[in-house]
Amino acid sequence: MTNFKTSRYNETISLGDGIVKKSLLCLSLVAVCLLGVVYFGSVVKVDDAIQLEEDVTPDGIVIGFSQLGAESDWRTANTESMKAAFSEENGYELFFDDGQQKQENQIMAIRKFILQEVDYILLAPVKETGWETVLQEAKDAGIPVIIVDRMVDVADESLYVSWVGSDFELEGAKACEWLNTYTKVKNIPPEEIHIVNIQGTIGASAQIGRTASLETAARKNGWNLLAMKSGEYTQAKAREVMGSFLRKYDNINVVYCENDNEAFGAIEAIESAGRKVGSDIQNGEIMILSFDTTKAGLTDTLNGKIALDTECNPLLGPRVESMIQKIENGETIEKKVYVEENIFSTDKSVKMISIGNTGYPVTIITQDILDSRTY
Amino acid sequence: MQTKKSNYTSISEMLGKLVKQQIFIPVAALLLLAIFNLIADPGFYKISYGVNSAGSPVLSGYLMTILDYGSELAILAVGMTLVTASSGGQDISVGAAIAIAGSVMLKFICGMNTPVIIAFLAACVVSMFFGAFNGVLVAHFKIQPMVATLILYTAGRSIAAWINNNELPIVSDPKFAYLGGFIPGIPIPTPFFIAAAVVIISLLVLRFTNLGLYTQAVGINESSSRLNGLNPAFIKFITFVILGLCVAVVGLIKVSRLSTINYSVIAKDIEMDAILAVALGGNALGGGKFNLAASIIGAYVIQFLTTTLYKFNVQSDALPAYKAVVVIFLVVISAPVVRDYISSIGKKISHKEVA
Amino acid sequence: MSSSNQSKRKKITDSNLLLTITIVVFFLMYIGAILFQGKGFLKPQTFFNILNANAALLILSCGMSLVMITGGIDISVGGVTALVSMCCAVYLDFHDGNVLGAVAIALAIGLAFGIVQGFLVAYLDIQPFIVSLAGMFFARGMTTIVNTNPFNVANPEFVAMKDTRIVVPGMGSINKLGKYVNAYVEIGVIVAILVVIVLFIILKWTRLGRYFYAVGGNSQSALMLGINVKRTKFLSHLICSFLAGIGGFVYFMHVGSGAASHAMGAEMNAIASSIIGGTMLTGGVGNIIGTFFGVLSLSTIQNIVSSAGLDQAWWTGITIAAMLCLFLVVQSVVMTRKNKK
Repeated sequence: MTNFKTSRYNETISLGDGIVKKSLLCLSLVAVCLLGVVYFGSVVKVDDAIQLEEDVTPDGIVIGFSQLGAESDWRTANTESMKAAFSEENGYELFFDDGQQKQENQIMAIRKFILQEVDYILLAPVKETGWETVLQEAKDAGIPVIIVDRMVDVADESLYVSWVGSDFELEGAKACEWLNTYTKVKNIPPEEIHIVNIQGTIGASAQIGRTASLETAARKNGWNLLAMKSGEYTQAKAREVMGSFLRKYDNINVVYCENDNEAFGAIEAIESAGRKVGSDIQNGEIMILSFDTTKAGLTDTLNGKIALDTECNPLLGPRVESMIQKIENGETIEKKVYVEENIFSTDKSVKMISIGNTGYPVTIITQDILDSRTY
Repeated sequence: MQTKKSNYTSISEMLGKLVKQQIFIPVAALLLLAIFNLIADPGFYKISYGVNSAGSPVLSGYLMTILDYGSELAILAVGMTLVTASSGGQDISVGAAIAIAGSVMLKFICGMNTPVIIAFLAACVVSMFFGAFNGVLVAHFKIQPMVATLILYTAGRSIAAWINNNELPIVSDPKFAYLGGFIPGIPIPTPFFIAAAVVIISLLVLRFTNLGLYTQAVGINESSSRLNGLNPAFIKFITFVILGLCVAVVGLIKVSRLSTINYSVIAKDIEMDAILAVALGGNALGGGKFNLAASIIGAYVIQFLTTTLYKFNVQSDALPAYKAVVVIFLVVISAPVVRDYISSIGKKISHKEVA
Repeated sequence: MSSSNQSKRKKITDSNLLLTITIVVFFLMYIGAILFQGKGFLKPQTFFNILNANAALLILSCGMSLVMITGGIDISVGGVTALVSMCCAVYLDFHDGNVLGAVAIALAIGLAFGIVQGFLVAYLDIQPFIVSLAGMFFARGMTTIVNTNPFNVANPEFVAMKDTRIVVPGMGSINKLGKYVNAYVEIGVIVAILVVIVLFIILKWTRLGRYFYAVGGNSQSALMLGINVKRTKFLSHLICSFLAGIGGFVYFMHVGSGAASHAMGAEMNAIASSIIGGTMLTGGVGNIIGTFFGVLSLSTIQNIVSSAGLDQAWWTGITIAAMLCLFLVVQSVVMTRKNKK
């Protein structure tokens, strides 16, 4: 009995020693892990952080940028453009935050920027509604907010200084007008045009604008708009949607894809169903109209798979930078600023389209143009 | 009276034997689905013959879709069955691991311009490495498989994005698309042949090596298998590595289908389908005896179910809800408690009849 | 003398060692954040913002810890959260509902999941992972069936509640314009802290709490001690799903919208928080205070990674996984040593 007890006791002692060692080991492991995290986290920022402490320079403008995510090439190009425009060489300090497609992350980021007392907040919102509270907080803290890319839907427009981005409705109108002109040149009667629309993520500004333009144009020109369904801006989903469209309708000759990734999916679905894509719709080809003009999209435009690719310019950095300079100089800026955007095609039959009183030239895509573009 | 009774018992015995066969569950489910589709819309079975954009003949139709996409699942089911049998748990990181394998492949093909085969081998090595990582956690550190693989599940897609710097490179070589599509001249989707090859190889391995026996031994009773001179940790480890290899093959098909990759979406929720295939194959999810053929049929049944649901215009996002109901139904009827209960009821009834 | 010594040391082995590690990690991390991220982290509001954003996760993690202490696991909590958000949003906006009704819906959904899953796990003896995996897929699928498109709730009563702020006295700071701004937390944080306190009391000082530990530690011997193992398991799953219902509503109150993608991966974060907080997957060991710090550590990491200015979002996933891996291995080593002795 005593023996047993002693042995137990001894065991406990050794166990105890082990614990001390173990806990030390664990702590050091944790410390290593932590160092790793901090290192990875700060690999870019260490210098900045030190600088921040050394020189609280009054002339360096601090910008907080809440980007909605990194879901596409377009978005990455947009982020890069911002980072280049607000570089240290240009006299800025940029706090960047990736919202990972979540509004609550973006709201948290804006609150963080407010606490960090940045000079300006840039917001590329993931969706349009639900921003009142946090924008009010920014306003109360005296920090001007510039909205980028997608719009915010707030009753009080004074909550933000300005909005910079694309006119999605105009983009859609351009694509539709091009189709209208093209069919007139080729003598195709409007009732022979059978369109399906692979929509973007429902509720996104680009989806709302581009869909609205198509619906208006179809009504005005008498096109036959067969069906609309969301492809959620992804290739896989668009492929699935297009596949079901092809099984349902055998007379589709125009596919209106609301971004390039959807166009790729649609092309795959069409080709694997044994049909051909191209602009020769009188001879059974299916025409693809697309948006965004990513490199891959323009490559497909160059080889004739996409009939028309309408640009959606992600390079907003310089534009926003010049606006901030204007505010700094005490100038007033416009509430809505649109960026310039082109339309690209290989088809030479339409040279110019006009919407309202403005004419837009069609850029004939070449390898050189493709190579000169940065995104 | 006497003859009638013996007749009755022989039929019920036969039925009982049939039902006891492990392969009965997936085959019955397959038949059930097939009959359902036949009644709902015979057009489901229509197969049309056409020519694709590359000018090669292709067969298309719902059945071909099942054959095509079910093959990916069948390959995964092979590895998942082994892992389940040896470790008594499942690997939930296969979807994330596919993303990594695909990303490695693209890195090699697009970033370094290597031939596809080298890219594939590299992906195999990487996938097997991650399989080994899971295997070490499970076999050596004795962490529950589902929790151990949770690590890779959390990090996998991030790692995949990191490998390619979050870019989405596109493979331009049209030949690469053959692997996930059609080889010119052959109207049956290539993934089916790949799956067939994987299945044949694994059946041969199980036939001519002791892997199958050892796996079952470890799964049934780890301690007694150790006493019999086996190394349970090593067996578990090796099954995870094999699953890694299966993952690389599926990654190849997946990447070939789209010529590119979307890190957050590729092979999403495929782990659920793979586990479901194993469960549907009648394999005990707690480890032990397994039947590879049943799992493979199970995989095609799942694809059959998915395709059927798609055909009835079920949104892809809503699909999991229906599948979940099927899973719950399956695990409930295969739960020992329920089986005992049913058999006790059955005995009571037959008892009454005899009396 | 020796026996008291013994029991003291024994305690350190299990729960307290892991708890200590977690708390130390959290403080080290926060200090690191202040050093590297500058002035933002020095303001108490930054900490409260982390709490605001993670109140729901805290509640989910508490439930998760409870289930894990009894040796189970529940990965349906994220799905339930999404389903609750969507159902409440639809009820409030499309059916002119009131907030009380929405709360009732949230609790009912949680209870329903708890009863079904608890029954399947405890009485039919099906693996909890498979049951809750199915539960998760069912909840996610149902969310899209209820309503596919994400939308923000405009119900004025609800919006007022969502924007309610509870001022934390003495913690405010002076903003850029020189104005004093009060520090605040949202209602959800209060709910979460109440949940933590209640669960802490249950686990520490009630008979039921002891049962949970006993069942998780060794269900065979628990059975021999006359504990109703099945009922205890059932209760743990019921409470976990019920908390998922509450957490779902808190989440809904924080984001104010319904969407199928809500709380994506929340179950994994909850499991990770519990593990980091020192709850053992093998059951029988765990501590709600640890879970509380686990959640804080996890969210602080996320905060650091996101404010480090890296657009490479993947670091979040990788760092969390690395931490998880580390803690799992440490647990495993601790367990093996204990078993060897």
